Amino acid sequence: MKKPPNNETCSQAVSESELVRLLTQMLRDEGYRVRLEVSNMGQSVDLVATQGRWVTAIEAKLSDWRRALVQCRTHESVADYVCVAIGSLSVPSGLFKAAHELGYGVLHFKRTEAKFKWEVRPRLNSKLWKPQRRYWSRALRRVPYAY
Amino acid sequence: MHIDHWMMFGTFAEQDHFAYPSKDAYRGVVINANMAAHASEGLAAFLLEKTANHTYIIDPLTHSFQHDPYYISGKDRELKSSIAAIAESYGSPVRETAGQRPITPADFKKGSVLEDFVTRCLTFQSSTLSQIMKESDAIKYLEATDQDLHPYALVAPYFFMTEATLDAWLEVAKRAADVARRTVKSSKLFISVVISRGVVADRDHRKKLVDAFNPIEADGFLIWVDDLNEHQASSWELTGLLELARALRKDGRREVINLHGGYFSVLAAGVLGKSAMSGVTHGPEFGEFRSVVPVGGGIPIARYYVPAIHSRIRYRDALRFFNRKGWLGSTKAFFQNVCDCSECKQTVGGDVGNFVKFGDSETKDVRRAGGVVRIDFPKTETKLRCLRHYLQRKFLEYRFAATASEKQIVDDLELGRTELEEVMGLDAVAHLALWKKTLLKS
Repeated sequence: MKKPPNNETCSQAVSESELVRLLTQMLRDEGYRVRLEVSNMGQSVDLVATQGRWVTAIEAKLSDWRRALVQCRTHESVADYVCVAIGSLSVPSGLFKAAHELGYGVLHFKRTEAKFKWEVRPRLNSKLWKPQRRYWSRALRRVPYAY
Repeated sequence: MHIDHWMMFGTFAEQDHFAYPSKDAYRGVVINANMAAHASEGLAAFLLEKTANHTYIIDPLTHSFQHDPYYISGKDRELKSSIAAIAESYGSPVRETAGQRPITPADFKKGSVLEDFVTRCLTFQSSTLSQIMKESDAIKYLEATDQDLHPYALVAPYFFMTEATLDAWLEVAKRAADVARRTVKSSKLFISVVISRGVVADRDHRKKLVDAFNPIEADGFLIWVDDLNEHQASSWELTGLLELARALRKDGRREVINLHGGYFSVLAAGVLGKSAMSGVTHGPEFGEFRSVVPVGGGIPIARYYVPAIHSRIRYRDALRFFNRKGWLGSTKAFFQNVCDCSECKQTVGGDVGNFVKFGDSETKDVRRAGGVVRIDFPKTETKLRCLRHYLQRKFLEYRFAATASEKQIVDDLELGRTELEEVMGLDAVAHLALWKKTLLKS
């Protein structure tokens, strides 16, 4: 049998739904309560993680981080923290740069370990508009927690 | 100076908006022939009871027979009943071909086919609604003469012309307009110029149109440029639209109405455009541009008309931009910078947080390929708020374009660009500079 060249190719690529499941698990281990596919002004937030009164909106993508950044712009109006979770082999430098500029967090799925790791911690979002957050929170409460 | 404000009738659900913000806000209503054929009783009642002066024009929609029958067929592949009704009224050649194949210029070559078609098309417009209005009970209580109940103008049959089909269809359209002019004695006659963006942008094509139609003593023209979104249009297209309108207008002696126009057209009809058009039409639900061949819609989404850039954008984007500008910090900041129309004043009231009402939605589960997703749909009240705000702003825009000085209009365009470029980006505001340049140059 031919030997795999390295651990990266040996590890299995995951689907976006598997990515979301693993991320939910990790966030729960960190003490968050997680909701999935929460609608927000005509868009859908992949994961909403709450801890006490703090709300984190997360867009999970296998590789299309640019699309995630576009979607995150809307989440700035309602979430305390905004993050991108990415399943690519490595974190693209463009995502790092954008995340630092925008204050977004970055979670990266390490294929070799089959788990997520914080690459960049998010900064408190200053663009939140409280009336919209209050409005959204009412709808958020109607969404059941995941798993 | 005055700009005629026309509204396109869409559905009966929208009929109350034709009296908003006031009953006399609109010059009249443009009604599609298929609606007139399909719901003539309802439309007659609407004109008598919901509009100020019953003024209307019926768009004969003759172009609908030249496209693939797919576009005029229902889900069951049968010809739509409303189209079948006008085909029956218009007679040959569309009665035989509708739903079977597109009509071609050759269909109008034999004998008196074209003459008969034109006559029936004009008769349909002049009698369909006026007859019902005349016989209605409501007319007893209104001071309206028979003439008042007739359309404002009759429209000669017309066809959609692209760069590739201009020569072939123009010959038929010109003949149709000639016949119509000879036939119509006691009403105004309008010629409809329905063309592609390629045609409007090309000087030679415009000249062909003007040379063909100008000798006909029509009272006015309707212009419809296929899918011309003024916010994304090139300077060639905008300049072309202006030049075509001016050439047909004959120094203001004839009416020229853009059938689907936005703020650029309103400006063109006003002080800045030196009255290049006499009027502009839009629908209650926007309708500032439209494809000649109908296209389907997407999931409805709350949209707020941003007065500073004369664009209707998604609520979530409007919120983000206004918040970054600090315009959602207080009611004073909102009314001063965003909008102080009566709908906004009523909705926002004393708490700027009420701006959320322009995006108020309900979440529904929608089945997609990947499973069920939750999607927000704007509530009925939300759509109504956004719509009323839009109609208020349109009313103000027409008045402003007609009565403000050239400097005030230019300053307003400049202000919109400079105020919002930093948060929206150049692409979202650059149309304002192009509009200004095009209108000042022409």
